[in-house]
Amino acid sequence: MAIIRTEHICKNFGHIEVLKDVSLSVEPGEVVCIIGSSGAGKSTYLRSINHLESITSGKIWIDEKLIDDRVRGTNKVHISAAETTEVLLNVGMVFQRFNLFPHKTALENVMLAPMTVKGVSKEDAEAKARELLTRVGLADRMDAYPSKLSGGQQQRVAIARALAMEPKVMLFDEPTSALDPELVGEVLNVMKQLAEEGMGMIVVTHEMGFARDVADRVVFMDGGRIVEDAPPAEFFTNPKNERLREFLKRSLQEN
Amino acid sequence: MEFLNTIWEWLTTGTMGKIWGWMPSLFKATGVTLSLSFLCVIFGLVIAVFLALGKISKNKILRGVCGAYIFFFRGTPLLMQLFFLYYTLPLLIPAFNIKSRYLVALIAFTLNVAAYLAEIIRAAIQSIDKGQLEASKALGLTYRQAMRIIIIPQAYRRMIPPICNEFVMVLKDTSLVSIISLVDLTCQTKMIASNAASAVVYIPAMIIYLVITAIFTVIFNKIEKKLSMYE
Repeated sequence: MAIIRTEHICKNFGHIEVLKDVSLSVEPGEVVCIIGSSGAGKSTYLRSINHLESITSGKIWIDEKLIDDRVRGTNKVHISAAETTEVLLNVGMVFQRFNLFPHKTALENVMLAPMTVKGVSKEDAEAKARELLTRVGLADRMDAYPSKLSGGQQQRVAIARALAMEPKVMLFDEPTSALDPELVGEVLNVMKQLAEEGMGMIVVTHEMGFARDVADRVVFMDGGRIVEDAPPAEFFTNPKNERLREFLKRSLQEN
Repeated sequence: MEFLNTIWEWLTTGTMGKIWGWMPSLFKATGVTLSLSFLCVIFGLVIAVFLALGKISKNKILRGVCGAYIFFFRGTPLLMQLFFLYYTLPLLIPAFNIKSRYLVALIAFTLNVAAYLAEIIRAAIQSIDKGQLEASKALGLTYRQAMRIIIIPQAYRRMIPPICNEFVMVLKDTSLVSIISLVDLTCQTKMIASNAASAVVYIPAMIIYLVITAIFTVIFNKIEKKLSMYE
């Protein structure tokens, strides 16, 4: 019973193959970290899952529902746009650059989607938003506009905003890459807490410590392919792939 | 007392006296200029929103039609569009024989201004970070909802300065209507100048244009400040 299942995902930008036959599944509550050098296709893969990029070929199941079965860009699954959106509500997403709505306060950012998409009443949405913002440690900053929040605070609002839609799985696209080093910890702590509460997630990250401590599986992508997929203990201590060994050596030297 | 009398005399007789005498008719014509500029920008904005959304839509036909409209109205002189509507169109289609010169001018200006405003709106919408649309989509908002709630409200503030600019341009462009004998401020000024054989009348007329421009610049600045509160 996978919450996300992808098989043979290929993605071309013109003549460039960005993803070459990527298959990966995530069980409910499972934390999968994807690492790899830039240009390896990590973000493109993540964005393909919730249709921010359209894949060239391959199959995508969300919550056991097939939403994509593409051959040369054409979807063979007969599914309406509304139905796809509905299924994709199970997937929450957090972006590298937060993408908060700058003209709304933190509280309004979190309330917006439940009210607009699910038709939740203002009172219920607000109660839920207050609870979520408190959970991510922003009880005292609820009425602030994003421009008045630090990067770490903005990213925590973005996490609360995604959680407000009650997703079954979360996608994190390099959530700490745009942050000052001293703000990385507060975001990772929130994510760790979320993982402990049983939220499934796929995290594209450069934070090796987080991958080692929190992930159930770590995946290494290189040149548009998954070349290693193993539990963290094995992944970091006994990497099989030559490129991964080089990658780990380099990132250890840097830290 | 003597001094005040001198000033009073200077103000009420001679050149100044003539200027005061012209003011009522100048103000009346200013009403035409103002209402024409104001209405064509308001109506133009309504059309422009649809043109702008059409031009950035995924629908090729819609994009083509809106693009062609904008191309035509930006690519031909406003003066000719005015002539076309007033003289040519009634010949081609008798039903378009509009009696009111004011209405003809209003339609011509509205259609023209809409093309320019559409480009302003399109540019403002496209200047909003792509991540905003992605975040909206990831949260389950439809394209329409994202536009209405997220993108366009952010684009408002960026539209205000160029719209103000456009308004000021239109205010002055309305002087073209004198060509179809609609009595706006410029037309009235020219009539006074030739009737009274005095070119002095251009001075108060230009001052009126400047005062209107100044007032609207202040108003638009206020609106811009108000809309950028969250930054």
